[in-house]
Amino acid sequence: MKLTRSYTINDLMEGCKAGDRKMQEMLYKQTASKMLAVCMRYAKDRMEAEDVLQMGYIKIFQKIKEYRGDGSFEGWIRRVMVNTAIESYRKNLRSLNVVEIDEAYEQPSTGFDFGTLGMQDLMKVIQKLADGYRMVFNMYVIEGYSHKEIGETLGISEGASKSQLSRARAILKEEIIKMEGFGYATYTG
Amino acid sequence: MQPIQDKDFDKLFKDAFADAEVTPSRDLWSNIESEIEPKKKRIVPIYWLSAAAVLLIAAVGILIYQQQNTAHPDKNLANNRTETVKPVVKANSIKDSTMVAPQPVEKQLENTLPVVTKKLSSSIVKTNKTEVKPEEKQRLATAPEVQKQETLTAKVDGTQQEIIKKKIEEAIQEPKKVIAMVETPTADVINENDQSNKGIRNVGDVVNLIVNKVDKRKDKFIQFRTDDDDSSLSSINIGPFKIGKRNKK
Repeated sequence: MKLTRSYTINDLMEGCKAGDRKMQEMLYKQTASKMLAVCMRYAKDRMEAEDVLQMGYIKIFQKIKEYRGDGSFEGWIRRVMVNTAIESYRKNLRSLNVVEIDEAYEQPSTGFDFGTLGMQDLMKVIQKLADGYRMVFNMYVIEGYSHKEIGETLGISEGASKSQLSRARAILKEEIIKMEGFGYATYTG
Repeated sequence: MQPIQDKDFDKLFKDAFADAEVTPSRDLWSNIESEIEPKKKRIVPIYWLSAAAVLLIAAVGILIYQQQNTAHPDKNLANNRTETVKPVVKANSIKDSTMVAPQPVEKQLENTLPVVTKKLSSSIVKTNKTEVKPEEKQRLATAPEVQKQETLTAKVDGTQQEIIKKKIEEAIQEPKKVIAMVETPTADVINENDQSNKGIRNVGDVVNLIVNKVDKRKDKFIQFRTDDDDSSLSSINIGPFKIGKRNKK
């Protein structure tokens, strides 16, 4: 990352627009680890995330001429990456029997401490979520989509998006509690 | 340890992932690179190949067209020339022959006659001097014969001249006939053009119309007979390869 500091991200953007292979590589090196973190949130595992990352960068280099400079270049790259991840999910939408309703967890009434949890732990619990829940949670919580947008993008109703988000939260909380090893008398997972 | 609000819960995740970085596998870039490269390699050659193919076809077409335009009209022109010029050449040659041929005859006559008369006169003088009658008689008898012969040959020459004159006249008249022969095929072509312009009834007419516009030669690149409603191929002319009914001379 530090090696490419002599170029600003806009220099790289211009170079990529011109199809300069070296500039493409530098842009990749400068942004790939952030983008892989994005992909990881949407994927089941690292392999799936890297597949999405690869597809995303190919798309970025193909579509870079469409970037008109509205918003930051990194933001544009991130959007392309998120869209690629969603597209990949929709393509692999084998059977969206997300999680049976009776499988859904009750929301734990107790609070817990995040202090000891790192990003990697949170990544793990997100990746454990069923595909549909993971999509809705990522899109709503991290990317800031509205339920309406999520519904349109994933082809589900706004209500379904809301209910899937609340279930996703519940599952995440339970998983975190498990991870933290807090023994709650009230909790009987 | 209090129950966490959804809002706070979400914020914790959002903050945790805001600057999250996960280092990709080392070979991921080379994968991306190879994914970009072969596509470029594949796409570009297809474009270039198709472009090259189009250019090649166009070039070959132009070459053939030019060859036909340069070689064939030349042939036609050459044919026309030989046909129209031939009689002129003939006339010239005949004229030349008539100009040359009669002159020697006259000269011969001029040359021969005096010599004979001289001989005769000398022989007469000789006979007068020697006074040998039989000889003189012989000479006298032969002299008129010779003279007669002379006149006869002159007469023959005169008829020859007449024959030559006739030949010249014929030769002069000949080109007219030949020109008429040459004109007949062109008249045919004009008629055919008219026929094709009469109206477009079928595909053959359309083809003929286009070919007539493009190909001004007598033997078209392709020609359809469109007498009936059904058009049928009547002639093809692709340089050395010709099929058609109008190949007759």
